[in-house]
Amino acid sequence: MIPALARLRSSALLGAALAIAFSGIGWAKTAVVLNSEDDSISIVDTASYAETARVHVGRSPHHLIVTPDGQTLIIAMAGGNELAFIERSTGKVRRRLAASDPYQVGFSRDGKWFVATSLRLDRVDIYDGENFELLHRLPAPSMPSHIAFSPDNGTVYVSLQGTKNLMAIDLAAGKTLWTAQIGPDPAGVLTRPDGTLLVGIMGSDHVALVDPKDGAVIRRIRTGRGAHNFLVSPDGKTLYVSNRVAGTISVLDADTLAVTGTLTAPGGPDDMALSPDGRELWVTGRWRAFVNVIERESGDLKATIQVGRSPHGIYVY
Amino acid sequence: MIDALLHLIGQLQGMFFENAVEPALYRFGLMDWSEDAFDAVGFAIFGALEIALAYVLCRPLEWWRPAEGWDDRRAVRTDVVYTLVHRLGLVPMIIFLLLTPIGVVIDGYLRFQGYIPPAVEQLLPALAAWPFATFVVYIVLMDLGEYWRHRLQHRVSWWWALHSLHHDQRQMTLWSDDRNHLIDDVLATVWSGTIALLIGVAPEEFPLVMIGFRLIESLSHTNVRLGFGRWGSGLVVGPQFHRHHHAIEHARPPFDRTRGCNFAVMLPVWDMIFGTWRRAPGFARTGVAALSGPEIRYGYLRHQLEGFRRLGAAFRGLFSRRRQGFAAAFPAE
Repeated sequence: MIPALARLRSSALLGAALAIAFSGIGWAKTAVVLNSEDDSISIVDTASYAETARVHVGRSPHHLIVTPDGQTLIIAMAGGNELAFIERSTGKVRRRLAASDPYQVGFSRDGKWFVATSLRLDRVDIYDGENFELLHRLPAPSMPSHIAFSPDNGTVYVSLQGTKNLMAIDLAAGKTLWTAQIGPDPAGVLTRPDGTLLVGIMGSDHVALVDPKDGAVIRRIRTGRGAHNFLVSPDGKTLYVSNRVAGTISVLDADTLAVTGTLTAPGGPDDMALSPDGRELWVTGRWRAFVNVIERESGDLKATIQVGRSPHGIYVY
Repeated sequence: MIDALLHLIGQLQGMFFENAVEPALYRFGLMDWSEDAFDAVGFAIFGALEIALAYVLCRPLEWWRPAEGWDDRRAVRTDVVYTLVHRLGLVPMIIFLLLTPIGVVIDGYLRFQGYIPPAVEQLLPALAAWPFATFVVYIVLMDLGEYWRHRLQHRVSWWWALHSLHHDQRQMTLWSDDRNHLIDDVLATVWSGTIALLIGVAPEEFPLVMIGFRLIESLSHTNVRLGFGRWGSGLVVGPQFHRHHHAIEHARPPFDRTRGCNFAVMLPVWDMIFGTWRRAPGFARTGVAALSGPEIRYGYLRHQLEGFRRLGAAFRGLFSRRRQGFAAAFPAE
């Protein structure tokens, strides 16, 4: 049963609710799940694998990210047209920034740039990563969804889910460098240490290895139907790919990109996160309003946690 | 209990989508429609629930104390088709496909210029702590919008040509609420969608409450000798109140269709404020006096085509010096 206390909204009350929700268990044992169709976030106790609070935040929260200094959690609310900046240590909402339809958000590695894609309105917004001043706004037809940055922090790569394209944008100039066709419904984008890109081809059953210079597809690695998003293990050796249609997670060797295993993850596996000790893989079941917790070593399903409707972004403290 | 019910519906939605709809989207290369299709499944499930509740609650009333009785119920069966087509999502899906690209272009242009529509909580910050209160404000504002849309549907000749499809039903029942022309539905969606955009609260945030409101709309059309009394009829629209609005006498003065009465969809307060409230005894026959042929009795597609015919006649009347056709039967004030 969700505490009535959790049904609150507004900066001060949201912050108070989050602070109360977190105070009993501490941030170290908490996961935050964005329920995109409930306009809420679920606070989950990672020790007991139970939802402890559900807090109304704003319309259509899809993705979240931690600031480079690790102090603030930014929740992007696409339907609410705003970014909520939440202090990680206290749960207090420090700021709400008006932003047009922010769907996916990301920082360049040096923190200099903050990028938000507008899935519904076919745009990419580039902000100053420190003061969040909007620097560039450029059209990105169509359905720009996922983001990755080049190692030199000069380029952002955006998958255009409504087409078969990946586009590269010069962050400083705010100009498109190239747009290349890579496969049906490209979704998650990951930059590898050598600068090459991996893109989940959601309209098919593979991920594409892409040349960052011009978007040419180097090769395709079969994973499962609806290859969607990526997660790299902390040691950089293992790569996970969520296959949203197949209901599986492919395990790959991050260097060779060979598929070494497949994990069962029903419910439309979407975003993923690792527990702080690295032993557990937390994955949102987009269509079934739950989060699956999978033991990495054995591949066994450890827990299924009911959350709100259409859980998307997840962050595990 | 409400949370449990919502959870059950959510699980049904997810299971059906994951096992039936998503594989089809993948097979036909339509994966970019995943999120919209997921929403559509939810809409259909809630629509089915609305239909079931309306039937369980309102049909017994029709058996118990019918306002009218008919031997031939073919016209009623046409309204059943209207209800299924609308509430299970076919018509909303068509409208969504037609209007969403236009809406995205307009919304995108406004955002590109730096304009972000404020939400009602931003205009009334005190509401921010109470999501349900915000939703009530939304319902009140939307109902006000619906009242005036309804007035225009009766006042504007070409719009009346479309809306007359709803009024020509002489066998009004719980199924009649969705008896509308597709173009009229498009106009209604544009109208209410614009208002919703301006005030910023989406009805899908409170799905069970929306079912309650759709139930009120079904009840207001139910063929039952039931009024809510002196005070009740001032609080919420009921069968007797709405039957006066549909009364066949409204084809003739002083209650001709442009004046009419009882335009409110949910809250009669708007009729009180704007002088269109009518309380009267009895349960009038419904329909439009000038429209009585077989074209109004049955056939969903035939009825829709009839709407196009009336619309064409109305436009011809508008541009003709001699007001002919459909519009001539209903001269503007």
